[in-house]
Amino acid sequence: MPSPRSHLALVLASPLMLLLAWDGATRFSLVEQILLPAPATIGAALWDVLTRGYAGVSVFVHIGTSLWRVLTAFLLAAFVGVSLGLLRGLYPRIDAVCLVPFELIRPIPPLAFIPLFILWFGIGEVSKVLIIFYYAMLVVMLNTQAGVASCPEDKIRAARSLGASPWQVFWRVVFPASLPHVVVGLRVALAAALSILVASELLGGDRGLGFVISDASTFFKTADVFVGIVLIGLIGLIADRALTFTARRIVHWEGKT
Amino acid sequence: MAPAPLLEAVDVSFTYGASTVLDRVSFTLGSSEVVSLLGPSGCGKTTLLNLIAGFRQPSSGRLLFDGAPITAPGPERAVVFQSGALFDWLTARQNIEFSLSCRGVAKAERRDVSEHVLELVGLKGAGGLYPYEMSGGMRQRVGVGRVIAARPRIMLMDEPFAAVDVQTREALQEELLRIHAATRCTIVFVTHSIEEAVFLSNRVFVLAKRGGTFDAAFDVALPAPRWDGLNRLDPEFLRLRERIYLTMKAGSPAATTGARAHALT
Repeated sequence: MPSPRSHLALVLASPLMLLLAWDGATRFSLVEQILLPAPATIGAALWDVLTRGYAGVSVFVHIGTSLWRVLTAFLLAAFVGVSLGLLRGLYPRIDAVCLVPFELIRPIPPLAFIPLFILWFGIGEVSKVLIIFYYAMLVVMLNTQAGVASCPEDKIRAARSLGASPWQVFWRVVFPASLPHVVVGLRVALAAALSILVASELLGGDRGLGFVISDASTFFKTADVFVGIVLIGLIGLIADRALTFTARRIVHWEGKT
Repeated sequence: MAPAPLLEAVDVSFTYGASTVLDRVSFTLGSSEVVSLLGPSGCGKTTLLNLIAGFRQPSSGRLLFDGAPITAPGPERAVVFQSGALFDWLTARQNIEFSLSCRGVAKAERRDVSEHVLELVGLKGAGGLYPYEMSGGMRQRVGVGRVIAARPRIMLMDEPFAAVDVQTREALQEELLRIHAATRCTIVFVTHSIEEAVFLSNRVFVLAKRGGTFDAAFDVALPAPRWDGLNRLDPEFLRLRERIYLTMKAGSPAATTGARAHALT
């Protein structure tokens, strides 16, 4: 293992080297600016988009639209997914009913459904939110169900032997024991939700960061394509960190037992 | 004989598929006894404990607690587990208060009980710690305290000290006897350690290696209290250990299926 200081130096040096190589490649015309703009050009484009908007609409409207879609779908998916996962984990009959239908649609990549959803629900908000919801819900549900199954039999027996009613066994033991799995499900679902969001916005509409990326590429405004990509990446990073930060406080015992 | 036994097993059998785990086991337990179920892995001692706890029902025979058949788990027969089975999301105090809060006992009263129990199990001042912040020995103290707070008539203990180091184990054994003296709660203790069984119990039931029957029962006539006076190398102590060891090694010739050989010290 390198010392902490040299470790930090390497961590910081590698992106700097990449940036330098990128800048050099554009400066000496090794690649065409239309395909890969210089870092400074992208920085200027970012500033321009932030201050003057894109396609006549403030960038914060684009960001807000995308965030609204992804958060609506994600929160719905979290609620329905956790509920269904708990029910499937607790009641074998409900699991038996759900098993085949969900196992049939689960391996299908969600993007394959986008054209179908557009056909059914149009290119408006409904199909975008629904497609994200559908996939994020599957992820949360399966992880929650695995969480219920992960609760050790000893803990359930301990609770029963201490006088807990069936409801108390569920609410005070099985549910908290499943939370670490639920949190993993939420993180995976959030990452998936963002990628499905961009894909669904690429296919239609005139708002959102996916639209910015797709529209900019149509008009060869490559720097603006990068601006959209950077903004999506930042949102993903912030959302994941916020979720992890919150989760660590709720499932504080995870990984320590 | 005591007038009405706290626990009475009459020809209790338990079969799992084709295999007979317990075969017509009979015994009685009185109030305030400490009884060990001693035997090698697979002899059915934990199964017997689970039947008393009410996690499972006997395949045949009668298992009576206070004169009534055991049909479900309950706090009057609470269990201490080898794994601890603590609730990781609750502090030591909240674990100890679990049975009380399930019953809806008010917070102030719960707090009084848990303070008292924490002191009894030697965890005074550690009530705010989570299980992952505690040593193995501390976790087992919480496991015992959680059961004591439920005020059981019988405390069922399934190899609770098997996973801690020797020094901690001996300290926990001594404290268990001190807790027993303070609460007078009957204890059924499952173990595969002869020394532990002899040290803790006033009676030791030895289970046969196969067949799920009692090989022998030993009365332990060592002086009480044992927690500070008893030398574990005392000749009487060692003699009893040897007798039990030889019985387990030979398999008691007197023990026919279902019958119960009784050997007195």
